[in-house]
Order: sequence, then C-alpha cells, then structure tokens
Amino acid sequence: MVNFTVDQIRQLMDRPTNIRNMSVIAHVDHGKSTLTDSLVSKAGIIASAKAGDMRFTDTREDEKERGITIKSTAISMYFEVDKEEVSAIKQKTEGSEFLINLIDSPGHVDFSSEVTAALRVTDGALVVVDCIEGVCVQTETVLRQALTERIKPVVIINKVDRALLELQVGKEDLFQSFSRTIESVNVIIATYHDAALGDVQVYPDKGTVAFGSGLHGWCFTLRQFAARYAKKFGADKQKMMDRLWGDNYFNPATKKWTTKSNDTDGKPLERAFNMFVLDPIFKIFEAVMNFKKESVFGMLEKLDVKLLQEEKELDGKALLKVVMRKFLPAGDSLLEMIVINLPSPATAQKYRVETLYEGPMDDESAIAIRDCDANGPLVLYISKMVPTSDKGRFYAFGRIFAGTVRAGPKYRIQGPNYIPGKKEDLFVKAVQRTVLMMGRYIEPIEDCPAGNIIGLVGIDQFLLKSGTITSSETAHNMKVMKFSVSPVVQVAVEVKNAADLPKLVEGLKRLSKSDPCVQAWINESGEHIVAGAGELHLEICLKDLEEDHAGVPLKKSDPVVGYRETVKAESTIVALSKSQNKHNRLFMKAMPLEEEVSLAIESNKISARDDFKIRARIMADEYGWDVTDARKIWCFGPETTGPNLLVDVTKGVQYLNEIKDSCVAGFQWATKEGVCAEENMRGVRFNILDVTLHTDAIHRGGGQIIPTTRRVCYAACLLATPGLQEPVFLAEIQCPEDAIGGIYSCLNKRRGQVNSEEQRPGTPMFTVKAYLPVAESFGFTAALRQATGGQAFPQCVFDHWSLMNGSPLEKGSKLEELVTGIRTRKGLKPEIPSLDTYYDKL
Amino acid sequence: MSATETFSSSGEEVINRSIDVHKEDSETPSYARDPGVFEDFYEIDQTVRFIEDGQYKRVTLQFPDELLHDSVPIYRALKRKLGDDKELYVLADTSYGSCCVDEVAASHVSADAMVHYGHACLSLNARLPVLYVFGKRQLDIDSIAQKLSEYFEERSGDLEDVKRVVLKHDVVYAHNASSLVDSLGNLSGKLSGNMQLSYDPLHRSTTPSSTSLYGEGVPKSLETIPSSADAEKTLTIWVGEESPTLTKLVMISSGQNIISYSPRTGKIVAQTPLTNRLLMRRYALVQKARDADVFGILVGTLGVASYLPLISHIRTKLKKAHKKFYTISVGKINPAKLANFMEIECWVWVSCSEGMVESKDYFKPIITPFELEVALQKAPDWSGKYTFDFKELLDSVPSTQGMSWRNSEDEDEERPVFSLVSGSYRQAKRFGDETATGTTASDTNASALTTRPKDNALTKLGDSAAAHFLQDRTYQGLDPRLGQDAPSVLEQGRSGIARAYDDDKTQT
Repeated sequence: MVNFTVDQIRQLMDRPTNIRNMSVIAHVDHGKSTLTDSLVSKAGIIASAKAGDMRFTDTREDEKERGITIKSTAISMYFEVDKEEVSAIKQKTEGSEFLINLIDSPGHVDFSSEVTAALRVTDGALVVVDCIEGVCVQTETVLRQALTERIKPVVIINKVDRALLELQVGKEDLFQSFSRTIESVNVIIATYHDAALGDVQVYPDKGTVAFGSGLHGWCFTLRQFAARYAKKFGADKQKMMDRLWGDNYFNPATKKWTTKSNDTDGKPLERAFNMFVLDPIFKIFEAVMNFKKESVFGMLEKLDVKLLQEEKELDGKALLKVVMRKFLPAGDSLLEMIVINLPSPATAQKYRVETLYEGPMDDESAIAIRDCDANGPLVLYISKMVPTSDKGRFYAFGRIFAGTVRAGPKYRIQGPNYIPGKKEDLFVKAVQRTVLMMGRYIEPIEDCPAGNIIGLVGIDQFLLKSGTITSSETAHNMKVMKFSVSPVVQVAVEVKNAADLPKLVEGLKRLSKSDPCVQAWINESGEHIVAGAGELHLEICLKDLEEDHAGVPLKKSDPVVGYRETVKAESTIVALSKSQNKHNRLFMKAMPLEEEVSLAIESNKISARDDFKIRARIMADEYGWDVTDARKIWCFGPETTGPNLLVDVTKGVQYLNEIKDSCVAGFQWATKEGVCAEENMRGVRFNILDVTLHTDAIHRGGGQIIPTTRRVCYAACLLATPGLQEPVFLAEIQCPEDAIGGIYSCLNKRRGQVNSEEQRPGTPMFTVKAYLPVAESFGFTAALRQATGGQAFPQCVFDHWSLMNGSPLEKGSKLEELVTGIRTRKGLKPEIPSLDTYYDKL
Repeated sequence: MSATETFSSSGEEVINRSIDVHKEDSETPSYARDPGVFEDFYEIDQTVRFIEDGQYKRVTLQFPDELLHDSVPIYRALKRKLGDDKELYVLADTSYGSCCVDEVAASHVSADAMVHYGHACLSLNARLPVLYVFGKRQLDIDSIAQKLSEYFEERSGDLEDVKRVVLKHDVVYAHNASSLVDSLGNLSGKLSGNMQLSYDPLHRSTTPSSTSLYGEGVPKSLETIPSSADAEKTLTIWVGEESPTLTKLVMISSGQNIISYSPRTGKIVAQTPLTNRLLMRRYALVQKARDADVFGILVGTLGVASYLPLISHIRTKLKKAHKKFYTISVGKINPAKLANFMEIECWVWVSCSEGMVESKDYFKPIITPFELEVALQKAPDWSGKYTFDFKELLDSVPSTQGMSWRNSEDEDEERPVFSLVSGSYRQAKRFGDETATGTTASDTNASALTTRPKDNALTKLGDSAAAHFLQDRTYQGLDPRLGQDAPSVLEQGRSGIARAYDDDKTQT
C-alpha cells in the first residue's frame, strides 16, 4: 500500500534541494491532524478512504480519546510533482521527486513547547486557519514563533465545507471572509518582518494560500483552477492565477477581463474567483445535498472526474466527500503548494544559520550549515526526545544541519550548558542506530545526510531534553530554543507507598525528558514538584507520570503557583550587617530593577555570559543605565542568570575584589530564597555602597562574608518595601455574544481584567482578551463552561509577572496571609523575620 | 595592643563572651535557699556512692553552660562528703555538644571517672565510666494520667488497633519513671485489655569495659523500636518538652504513632504529621548531597564509641564513589566556621544521636552519616527508616551490595545523572579515578608532596578539587602582574631599627 520504499527516501535524502521540512501549525481545533491525514494518505501510508477520520499522527491513547494532539509527530513522505509544475519552483531543484518531512504539532497553548521544538527542525510551516473562527491567539503565537525562527509560512483556510453546509454563506461573503482572514495573517507576518527572510506574506494569487476541508479531504489552490482555465482561455497560467483573485471580473458577454465590478451598462459583474472557483464547488454541493444525482454526474463528466460504480451509489455527505476528493484531492494540491513555495534546507539554511548557530559565522561548522554540506563536519540539533517502546529509553529527535550522521563514529554531545573549550556538559559517544521517524512506526536507516530529520538511538542518556551533536571540536552550540510558555503551575506529588520512591524519581526523570517544557525538582521541604505550562498540560504530565513513567500510585497536591519576591522602592536607609566576628561591615541598598531590564535578562538579551563592556553599552543605550554602574555588575542571580543584580558602587575599598566571590555566593543564596517567603527574587537591584573589612585576610574569609551578604541583602529588602509578584495568564476566550455576560462575571470573581473585546467581522463570535492571575486559573475552564452554557473556551498562556497590591509586612493584609500560607507550607516559622534579625546597629 | 593580635586572638574575647543560656530558674533549686532540696535534685548522695563504689581517684564533673552556676555548690557538697583523697575537677565549655561526655577533656587530668550533669544524649562512650545526673524535675503524674485518659477517650476510634504503648520521657523525669509507668499501666489496662505498656528504664551509669558494649539496653534504651510488623499498632508517648531527643525519637520511629505530652503546658500533640515533614526535609538534603562532589567530614564528637571506625568507613565509602573529601574538626559548629570552606559542597556531621543540624543559616547542607549512606546509593531509596546508631550503620552495609553497585556503575562512568535539585542532568566530577590520574596514580591525596621530575617537565596534578575551585574563583590571590610593570631602579633604603632609623636623627 505504501507507495514508496525506504530506499527511495534514502536516495532523496542526498538531494537537499529536493527536501522540504515543514510543520503544520495552528490554533487548537482548526484541523491540523485531520489535514495531515490527507497528506499522509496521499503518500499511501493510510488508506485514503480513512483520511480525515483517523488522525494518523495522534499516536497516544489520550490523544485519540480527547481528540486533541499532545505531542508533535513526524513523518517522512515521498512526493512526485507534476513535471509541468517543476518550472514553478523558484529555487534550485533536481528532478521532480521530493522528500517531505512533515511534523504535525499540537494546537493547544499548553503544548506550545512542542511547536517550538517542531519549528526548530523545519524550514517551512503550513498554517491552518479555520475559515469560520479566523485567526486566533494561538495562530498568532505559533506564527510569530515561526517567523522569529525564520520559517516561511503557507496558509490553508480549512473547514470550508462548514461555511457551505452549516452557515450557508454566499459566494461573495465567502470571498470577503477569505480575504479578511488572509489579511489578518498578513498583518501578523508584517509585524514580525525579517529582512533576511524577505517578504513572506501570503497571497492566493501567488499560490501560497489554499482553501479546503481536511475532514472531506479536498483542497485547492488557485494554481489548480488556473491550470484548468489556462487552456480554455489560452492564457498564461500565472496570469490566470492573478485574475482568479481579488478585484478581477470577467464579462461573459464581451468575454473580456476587467477590474471594475460593473460592466459598461452598469450591471454588476461576478468576481472571477466566485465565477470560476467557487461556482463549480457551490454547484456540486448544492446538487449533492439536494440529491440531484443526475446533474452531479453530468457535472463530473465535464470536470473529468470518474467515479467507481459503488461510489455512485452513495448519497448525501458520503457522496459529497467522494466527489470532492476526486475533484480536488487535498494531498496533491497541498503537497504541490508545499513543494513549490516552501524552501528546501539548501535554501533555508543560508539565511537561518545566523539565528541557529551561536558560534562565529566563519568557522567550519557555520560554513557547513550555510551550505547544507553533507560532507562537512556534523552539526545536528536534538530538539526533543521521543519515547521508544523500550521503557525509559528515548529516540533523540533532531535535524542534521551539516555533515552526515551514522552509527559507529564517536560524536561530541554538547548539552545546553556546554561552553566551547570547557569539558562541562560534553560527552564523546557513538550513536548506536539512526532511524527514520514515521509517525507511529520507525524505519532503521544506515546513515543520514544534512538537511534531514532523524531519530538517534543511544544518546538519550547524555542529554536531558535537547542539545547539539557535532564532530567538530571547535563547534559551538546551536542556539537554545526559546519557549513561548513557562512552567508556572506547580503540583507536589508524593508516592502512596514509600517503597515506590525510586520509581517516582526515575519517573520524574523520564517525564522531564519526554516533554520539552515540563520541569521536575525537589524543593527545600522535600516535596517533589512537577511544573507545567497550564492545568491541561500538568494533567497530561501527571497522568503520564503515574501510568507510564513511574507506574506507581501517586498522591497529588492541589496546584500551587510560584511567586516572586521583589521590592517596590529604594531602601529607606542604608542596610548594614556585621559579620559574626564584628570585624567586617557591609552597607547595602536594594531598589527595584526596571521591568524592561528584568525582561531583557529573562529573555537572554542581557546575560551573565556577555562581555561586560558590551553588556554595559547595551544597558546604557537601551535601558538608561549609568555606564560605570553597568560595568560594575558583579553578578546575576539566582543561579547566576536570574533577573536580580548585584552592583558594586563602592569607592576605593581595599581588598574588595577579594571578597567578591563570597559576596556573590551570599547574593545567590539570598536571591534564591527571598526574605518574605523564601521564593525566588525578581527585579531587585542590590547596590553595595560601602564595605569595611578586617585587614587580616583570615578574618574576612568566606565564613564571615557569605552569611553577612545574605543578611544584608535581606535587611536591604525589608527596608525597601518588599512586595510579591504573581504570574498572570493572558486568556483569550472566543464565544457568541450572549455568553459575554457569563465570561465577565466569571473573570470578575477571579480577579481577571478584561483587556479587549472584539467582534470578529462577519460572524457573531466575540473574542475577549483578559489578564487572569495564574493562582485564580485553576478550574477556570470548567467554571467558564458552566457560566456560559459550554459556549466559551479559554486559551491561557503565561504573559507576565504582576506586582501584587499591598505589603506582606502589613499585619492582617491579604498579602501577609498569602506569605504566611507559603511559609507554613514550607515548614518555616509563620512570621516574616523582623528587620533586626538581619540589620545591625552601627 | 600587641602585634600578635592579628595572628591570634588574645583569649580575652572568650572570657568576656556572654553565653545564651536558656534558664529555667523556677526548676532548679538554689543551694542557698534549701541545701536539702538542692542535694536531692543533683543526687549528691548517689554520686558519692558511685565514686566510692568504683574507688575512683580522680573524677571530673561535666556541666553544660546552663548549669554551670551550680557547679561550685555541687563541688563543695561532694567534696565535703567524699573527703580529701578524691580529686574532683569541674569541666565546662565542652568542645562539642554538652549532651555528650567529653572524654578528651577528662583525660587531660587523667580522670578515671566522670559525672555528667544535665541533659544527656546517652550515647555510648568509649573510655570512661560515667554517671549521669539529670536533675530531678518534678512531674505531676496525676495530671498526665488524666490528660492522657481524656485523649484516649477522644481518639478511641483511631487508637483501636493499638496493641502496644511505649513510654518515653525526657531524662530529667527519670526518677519519676516508675510511678509514671504504674499510673499509665492502670490507665491503659482500663481502656482496652489488649493494650500492653512497655517501658525500658534509663541506665544511669555506664562502664565501657562491661561485656554488654553493644548489648541491648544500656545506651540504646531510647532507641528500641518494635519490629516493623507491629509498628503501626504501636503508640509512643513522649513525656517532655520539644527537644532534640524528641526529634530523634520521631526520626527513628517513623511510621508509628507518636504523641507528646508537655509537662509545662499540659498539652498533648500528635507528632506523626511533623515526622513526615521532618523526614521529607531530610530527604531533600539527601538529594542535595547526591549532587555534591566535594564532602567535608565534620568531626562532631570525640566521645561516642566507634566514631573513628565510622569516620574511616565514611572515607572508604566516599573514595569508592569517587568523591573528594576533607576531614575537618572545628569544635562547636556555626555558619561562619563552615562557610570558610567554600569549596565543600556538603558536610557530613559525625556526632552523637542528637546532633542533627536543622538550620537554614548554613551555607551548605549538613547531613548525618546515615543520610550520606543513602545519598551514595545508586537508587534514591528512602524507606523512612532512620538510624543514628554508629554501630548499626557500620553493620548495615553488606559488602556484597557494595560490590554489585560498583559493577553496574562501571558500565558507563561518565553517564550524567538526573539531579532532582536542579531538575536537569548533571555530570558528577570523579576524583581519585585511577584511569584519569595517570602519573600520580599512587595516592591522590591533595596534600601529599610529589617529587619534581628531573627534566623540569610539567606534571599533571591529577584531578584536584582545590585546583578546580581555584579556577572558578575570580580572585585568585595577589596579582603577580608578570611582565606588566617596568623594572625600577634599585635605591638605597633606610637602615636601622623601626624605633629609630638611622636617617631619623638627621631629619630632626
């Protein structure tokens, strides 16, 4: 049944100009997986009759049950394009056979990290947009991600059948709705315009927009219709495509083309798109649904579509499906669109290398990536881990950007913390096997050259989630993926049976491997914490953990939120702490760090690894810092990378450089466990104003300075109006007008703030955007459903940290209650330590 | 101010230091007010009998800080009754915990017996015969019995399947123990017929030479745990205040019901939920220890028997696991002392059973030898069983288990491990690896001197934890500025002595 062999694929792999690596991205429920089926069926992997019902790429049980995609799934396909169309391909190609590596990705925001991992290994994206719902929040998010990764999009407007069957819209309305959707996609694309990528806006007349129905398995681009009519009109195909979109009209009386909507007599003309493209489709729909079988068969004969005898006996929707699928097969038109418009690795890596590779652009690895050189040094990026049937083992899934990977030779496995020239996070190991990922199957393959997507066996033990594999000793890392979601929702898990503990620990390890975003760790009070992007994400992760990774019964706490401690003002007085031997004094003030700087640190725009002079320049130019101050940033914290700064503003202090390491250690400690609730600090700048030190080195050792730095940091915070920041979701809710009241009341109860409320033009649907504190989001989906009679469905994605009102130091305040709660949970004394615990009198 | 002060303190500070003493003035009788009560409280007569029966010549009296003010009256009272041929010495300011017997201090005066005053951990000591004087604190037995019977009635549902009641108490109530047992015996008999009360009396004196060195009873009286089968059916009652002894009790008997009665407040508190908390916090520390590469073995006792075998056992363990370790003794620990050793990532505190450090003030985690044992296991097993007993620790490790662990590890030594603390992979540094060291294979002790090769070639110094640490520091000592400063011309300096240089005269 499969109409290609692994050998064929392997041959194509050697031709990087004829490879297309692409991901299917969209908002949830816009029909990615269903559409993917059409493509997969074209490749003969599943029977075409089943396409649309099967969701081949949903491999997990729960994906099938819930009907949503959770993990991204890759599949390789062989496609032979019509010889005539080869000329339409603007980039270098050899022959008409193509290898398409497709990754189907989840649409729910909670699983965005899967999309990120998929985008990294592909060069093009098929953006699926529901023709009724239009561009939604996740469409925008994934599109933005794609563009920042320099990935070229093409669009398919899906579920056109619904517009025809359920909404019964007219031809002109449908055209307007199409062009509006395309326009909103183009607005997003224009916003994230990248000169290196060029103009990637999508136009139906360029063939970069398709229309169709994944469920019914049909789809077209203007190219197909242009091909049909070009002969009839004796016009050039490209010219025909231009005429089939936009304000182009055909006057049947004069047989002339015009751009005016009225003819010379003032009579309205029908738009060419409506007349030549929509009309046949509308006619077929009408005929089939009204059971006018004879006229259907008549039309089909004209369109040169042949039905089998048993197919002729079908009726209604079943017949419609068969007819449309034969008329406009989705697989062909989509694959054609992909092959013609999306870049090959050879094309894409030329402009992607700068955004992909951390090292200098002129080293051997960068050059090999740019040229997609299969004979160069190996550079392979592992973007995620895919579980194997062998429990606890994973395929390392990634893309070869340069060189050729094969089992046998030893490669350098560089983890995310690898620094060139150092030995940390570096392993030199051989790959055991290389495999081709085919959805739910794998195919062993001997070797694999640059430009392809591959699974590796035997290196999962050395990388947790992602990493770079290379054969060049000078190679730097590939850039770490930036996720659009953060693990802000936490749950503590514990085993019901103490003897199962090792299994839980092993399970947590496997869980963190299997998901790019989830985090698992143990906190100070000994609880095992699992953190995910949202409630659904966490639910899936915990289910996996319990049933699969750990395989033992677990107790789960209610979800909790991680807060951040910050300060709201500059310390009122200079904080002073003395060392235990009273011979050393540290003077410090804390002040809030500008939110932009915190964000820049969190997004790695400013980082501890930068050269301090360059960093100081950026901070001075973009964030208004004093250059001398910016140069004297001692460190970032916590974990040496966080959004708190320790700045040395002392003047002429002797031995200061000697205690720097001790101060840094104390600062890391203090910022990791803040003074109020022992949560991480965020957005605090500590200025060391002055230091008095004992003249003898032994009396100003780490033992005296580290605890003192911690204490003085705490004292400075207590003097600087401490506050708490909580994570806030951006919730986007789509609903009909009558449900809006329910949404508002639901949001009000949960401290939500409505941001915007827009009606989607041409539909009764409203889009409400609101900020919702993560702490209030538990059970929000269910509550919203209840309040709106199941009409509203929210998509929540972490947006920002928001300062909470009030002060934890104020007795009886809400914030004090919150802090006391956290402290008790952590087994600390319920009260925040008083200032004199940390502040010493002169 | 003398010049030597910069190098060592004058000792004045120690004398002037004020000590935080937790004084319970109402509890300890004053000698001046009532000598009779005082002598009874401190069991002067019994002490005299102990010394005379043992025919000890030199006896040391060890006092904790909070009882030091009574040392002189006690000394006088004893001296009066003993006569001149016995020498008595008062010991204070012990090097480690005051709950332990300070044998080293006692051996400074070649004492042949010791009387230990105040709270004691009753750890088995190695050398001296010891008499423990806890001080007789009064206990209102009737109110305990009443409170407990109320408690039992309230919780009769939960306590139905309790088969056995174990009584434990703070050492200061040792003298009341028998009457307490009697009254509780009546009580439990009344409640349900099948409940059985057990109590192991504390032993007041120990003689290390006795055959029952590790025999049941003597110092382990606090630690006898019923077999795991009926652990759930056992209810332990603790009479006393919150103290390290209670913490220890709670730790070693996890999975059992423990209630504590505080004589001061008269309240009964169920300790079981606290136990879980405590055990989990310790578990988190164990996880941190798993991530550590450089360990510090902190000597926290010189008195508890078999501390030396234990330390060497820990050393072999760490060596096997390719960890770097230093053995350090700093006396009583505080955060400042320990933070001076910045390269050490985890401390192992070898001390008596009550020496568990639970404080957030320390820069690096401090774990007990048992926890180290758990941390060095391949799989992070944590059954909830806990022990402080050195002997048990030394016995518990069957050599075969260690062997199999080694073999499986040999598969791939470089493999990173999943660290629960950071939630990511980390690669352990391996110190003392035979394969890696090459030239200095004989001994990887960092302090060992190596001979310089004849040909002046560079030697590779194996893998030194200290060298690693130095490289990571930003400040690496005085900047030599080699080749950066222009050489200056030699000048004639001053001559003479500091009090009056030769050229001073010419100036004045």
